[in-house]
Amino acid sequence: MSEEHHITPLKTYLLVAGTLFFLTAVTVWASYIDLGSFNIVLALLIAGTKAGIVATFFMHLLWDDKKNATIFVGSLMFLAIFIGITMTDTEFRGAVNPEIKDPINKRAAFYNSLPLTDDHGYPLDKEKNHHEGDKDHH
Amino acid sequence: MSGTNQNYLTHPKGIMSWLLTLDHKRIGLMYLFGGLFFFFIGGLLALGMRYALATPEADFVTNDQYNSMYTLHGAIMIFLFIIPAIPGALGNILLPLMLGAKDVAFPRLNLASFYLYTIGAIFFIYVMISGGVDTGWTFYTPYSTESHTNVMGTTMGVFIIGFSSILTGLNFIATVHKMRTPGLTWYKLPLFVWALYGTSLVQITATPVIAITMVLLMLERLLGIGIFDPALGGDPVLFQHFFWFYSHPAVYIMILPAFGIISEIIPVHSRKKVWGYKFIAYSTLSIAFIGFLVWGHHMFTSGQSVLSQIIFSFITYFVGIPTGVKIFSWMLTMYRGQVSFTPPMLYALSFLFLFTIGGLTGIFLGAVALDIHLHDTYFVVAHFHYVMQGGTIVAFLGGLHHWWPKSFGKMYNQTIANICAIGVFIGFNGTFFPQFLLGLRGMPRRYATYDALGSEELVAQYAATHGSSTFFSGILGLSIFIGVMNLLWSLRKSNKLDPGTNPWGALTMEWTHTTSPPHPHNFEEEPVLEHGPYDYDKVIVQPTLKK
Ligand code: HEM
Ligand SMILES: [Cu+2]
Repeated sequence: MSEEHHITPLKTYLLVAGTLFFLTAVTVWASYIDLGSFNIVLALLIAGTKAGIVATFFMHLLWDDKKNATIFVGSLMFLAIFIGITMTDTEFRGAVNPEIKDPINKRAAFYNSLPLTDDHGYPLDKEKNHHEGDKDHH
Repeated sequence: MSGTNQNYLTHPKGIMSWLLTLDHKRIGLMYLFGGLFFFFIGGLLALGMRYALATPEADFVTNDQYNSMYTLHGAIMIFLFIIPAIPGALGNILLPLMLGAKDVAFPRLNLASFYLYTIGAIFFIYVMISGGVDTGWTFYTPYSTESHTNVMGTTMGVFIIGFSSILTGLNFIATVHKMRTPGLTWYKLPLFVWALYGTSLVQITATPVIAITMVLLMLERLLGIGIFDPALGGDPVLFQHFFWFYSHPAVYIMILPAFGIISEIIPVHSRKKVWGYKFIAYSTLSIAFIGFLVWGHHMFTSGQSVLSQIIFSFITYFVGIPTGVKIFSWMLTMYRGQVSFTPPMLYALSFLFLFTIGGLTGIFLGAVALDIHLHDTYFVVAHFHYVMQGGTIVAFLGGLHHWWPKSFGKMYNQTIANICAIGVFIGFNGTFFPQFLLGLRGMPRRYATYDALGSEELVAQYAATHGSSTFFSGILGLSIFIGVMNLLWSLRKSNKLDPGTNPWGALTMEWTHTTSPPHPHNFEEEPVLEHGPYDYDKVIVQPTLKK
């Protein structure tokens, strides 16, 4: 049960190659524009499109058994789940507790701006230092 | 039948014919004995820890040794026994037989998987003799990038075994799609096949992530690039995302095949058609999928965002639904059946009981507010032992007893096997139920000593509870050991079954269409399907072996 082998016309190959070169140029060009954190999203979108084109035409996914395309799309979906849900953490850290938000090296500075406390969380002012109830120093 | 004297165990002969074999049954047996070997080592480590915990103070082992013991215990049990044991051993032996196929789709790849498993195992042995590793099986950063123990060796081992797992999964998926005998449509597949199929899907989608995680960890250790180290712009919590994106699905790699075994044992030993075939089949697939969306429930105290906490907690509850569907389907299968208390069935019954406790306490832990208190206490230890040992290992032992006569053509002493099954049940509950109480009273996991954890009264309470846990762990260990010895003892020469035997009167193809032990090529002619796998209402097969 040999399947018919698809022969792609040269024109398609050249067109695809052209598109890839064009998108590479767009990537370089886009990197010079400051879009903030959207830069990385854009770069990934372009790269993803290119990978998709390569898989579709050069790797013949378009003409293959559709199971292969399903697996390809499925793996992209899993990647999206992984990155997407992880971003519900990284993008929203600190929404409720601001001190969680900053990475630890900045956090040191953050804590420096707070009044100093002892191990039990009491302020380290001389007057208030010795609490009446605070007797659990063994 | 002609040529029934030929069986895969004795034909061909010689050590090389085993090491180079492409026969799925032989590869399965090699996985079986490899797995049992590491089960033994992991078990010794566990008993050592229980012994050390019987008293609050440090005696017998130093703190560093204790750290190494729990890390190796966890890593060996998970990566070298539980994950490969059921798919690698029982799955390999049974999948082609259940499909009426000659072998798996890619026999050479199958052997390659076993070689990779062996290489990974060698790394673990190297770690053990080079002083151990103390990060816990979870390898959390930042400690794992700093620990002076052999983190590299262990992560290399895990990395390599991961590939073994991926290749087995790939092989099984191709086998189920391509190797079914004519007429064996999807809904006529035994449920163990569905379970292996679901497991394989998870193996090929999740396992690459642990491989990447291990590589990132090694790069961070070796080259100091900042992926997880905040001082270099990394994020230590990201490690936990990576790790659990694999390891939560991995708990389904561990439990789904166990579900499959239970779905085989219960109808056969209740002589009843399985209730809710499609429910069981599809709940396997939905567990496999939902399992990918809940990993953050291991990270409720990691500092992840409140939004993630809520999302993960919410989705975690959904896992309970397909799991519940299965439990009820099994119970309805037994309802009004002729339940016989054979060793496989005793294990299956204790599975139902133990796994239900494990699953329900998982729901407790899925509630953020409660988990903040229970995280990293013995409550979690008890939860995952109820699901992994009470669930997976008990199911594995049940499956081993169920298919032992098939694999070897020998029957073990069923009375001893029954006593051991009951011993496992008692020993297990005695060991792990007290650990729920310890956790609720605040006893943290991974502590070598507990004499300084609180008031004298509290320490005395801990000591009493730990003490009884240790006592019962002895019963548990002994029961499993004697149970396995009982199986091995049946292999002696003088003990033989008639090759045509169908001791439990089962209807799946591995029992009805081939000999025990099977022919080297499984079936002497292409098997023709005459009935579904659980048609006990239509076909009457008598068990050929009465107790
Ligand atoms: C009903 C399904 C389940 C639910 C809702 C559930 C939920 C949870 C939660 C929330 C935790 C985190 C506890 C903490 O660290 O604070 C946990 C830990 C764990 N669960 Fe489950 N679980 C379920 C089933 C399983 C199964 C079937 C397995 C394995 C066969 C498993 C293995 C584990 C392991 C190994 C851990 C501890 C990991 C570690 O920190 O070392 N669970 N579970
Ligand atoms: Cu989990």
